[in-house]
Amino acid sequence: MVELIKVSKSYPPDIIALENISLSITTGEMFFVIGKSGAGKTTLLKLISNMEPPNSGLIEVAGNDLRLLRGIKLAKLRQRIGVAYQDFKLLLDRTVAENIAISMEVSYKQPSQIQKRVKSLLDQLQLADKHNSITGELSRGEQQRVTLARAVANSPALLLVDEPTGNLDGETTGRVMDLLKKSNNSGATVVIATHDESIFKKSNRRIMELQRGKIVSLKEACLS
Amino acid sequence: MRFWFAVMRQAGRNLRQTWPSQLMTLLTVSLSVLIFAFFNLVYTNMINSSEQLGDDLRLIIYLEDDPGPAMQEQLRRKITNFDRVEEIIFVSKEQAYKRFAKRLGRHKDVLKDIPTDFLPASIEVVPMKNLRSLNQVKLFSEYLSQLPGTLKVQYGQEWIERFYYFTRLLSIVVFLSGSLLILTTIFMVSYTIRLTIFGRQAELELLKLVGATNNYIRTPFLIEGVLQGLIGSSLGLFSLFILYQWIKGHFSGPGLLELFSFTFFSPQMILAIVVISILLTTAGSFSSMQKFLRI
Repeated sequence: MVELIKVSKSYPPDIIALENISLSITTGEMFFVIGKSGAGKTTLLKLISNMEPPNSGLIEVAGNDLRLLRGIKLAKLRQRIGVAYQDFKLLLDRTVAENIAISMEVSYKQPSQIQKRVKSLLDQLQLADKHNSITGELSRGEQQRVTLARAVANSPALLLVDEPTGNLDGETTGRVMDLLKKSNNSGATVVIATHDESIFKKSNRRIMELQRGKIVSLKEACLS
Repeated sequence: MRFWFAVMRQAGRNLRQTWPSQLMTLLTVSLSVLIFAFFNLVYTNMINSSEQLGDDLRLIIYLEDDPGPAMQEQLRRKITNFDRVEEIIFVSKEQAYKRFAKRLGRHKDVLKDIPTDFLPASIEVVPMKNLRSLNQVKLFSEYLSQLPGTLKVQYGQEWIERFYYFTRLLSIVVFLSGSLLILTTIFMVSYTIRLTIFGRQAELELLKLVGATNNYIRTPFLIEGVLQGLIGSSLGLFSLFILYQWIKGHFSGPGLLELFSFTFFSPQMILAIVVISILLTTAGSFSSMQKFLRI
């Protein structure tokens, strides 16, 4: 699903965010990217979602070389990628339902189908009573869950999640992880960038650790 | 179908959120159309009137004496040598006297002691319909004044000249107001769309990130442009129609409007103004998006 070959990214003046990253994530995998703040986790997700271009190297998503994608082909690929950003990127003056619906609206889903999906996601994330609330009036934890709901709403083939549990208590973290596992079980490839040990410590999935933009370890999945 | 449903919903949302600036643009478009259409209406009516006046145009050559049949033939030949004419009528001194007496009606007694040959003989020349410009009429008049035995040539020079200069002035005003319409419409629409884009930068960025196609982002703005052109021009033309009806109602009866038979725009002209306004507002919205969205 995702291939990175010798990918590097730096920011002016001379901050190296990622250096010579080569990585392969297979379809249907749940993959953890861990590391301290500034290790390059968010940059990696930005490059995979084509929000930013790399300085060098090749990135392929679902067999598409991201350097060559433009216009409608790029839009179609983005519709298949769900991203939960660390800074949420929510429309604070819109309702919770409108924020979640946006990813389905751009792929021209039926309004009835959108409504049903929004309701179901809000139920799963214990936000059912916030359906018509203005997003800007929610707490950080609630906004984080809305971001996650928007990312999974369109049933994406690839789900990129940046620090999904940063503002959540233990119980809600469990609910969020359940939702991500559910997406993964239904076929989505899930990449989670986190420094929250509680969500990957007991996991038997592959875990890649970044430090100053370099891969320092790659723990293989435990087959049980 | 789903695409259009989605973009119409998006356009409706945009309009709801930015209605104050949309209203300002709508008023500007209406006002620009009203100014342009007003001068255009006056101009069109003046042109129609000048054509009517042209139909009645005739040059009168006053002669020293009644021409005999041979002289009449010679004069007819000389006149037609310059250009073909619609009609040449010879009016003898006696015929001129009779016409005058008829015009005086019950006051014709005033002519009792005046000799019947006191009015000069004349030739009335009705030029062809293609002889319409002021210069052509002037040239023809100069030629006729050189015919043998001619006292004077008249065609209401002063009045016709003033009328021609006035229509020329109006054509300049129509041109200027048309340019004003184009500039203000494009400027205002692109300015409003720019404001909308600035205000919704975060949303547009997010739309791109979740996979909205360029058409999905662009089309609602184009729809806004089309609506502004359609509603703005319709409002402008409707206001002008109300003004026209009011003027007609208050100034009907014998007077200037009766003389000129003032009419409103034809359906084709109304359609042309609406279509041009729509094209201008859509162009304004499109140029703004190309500059600021860079999608």
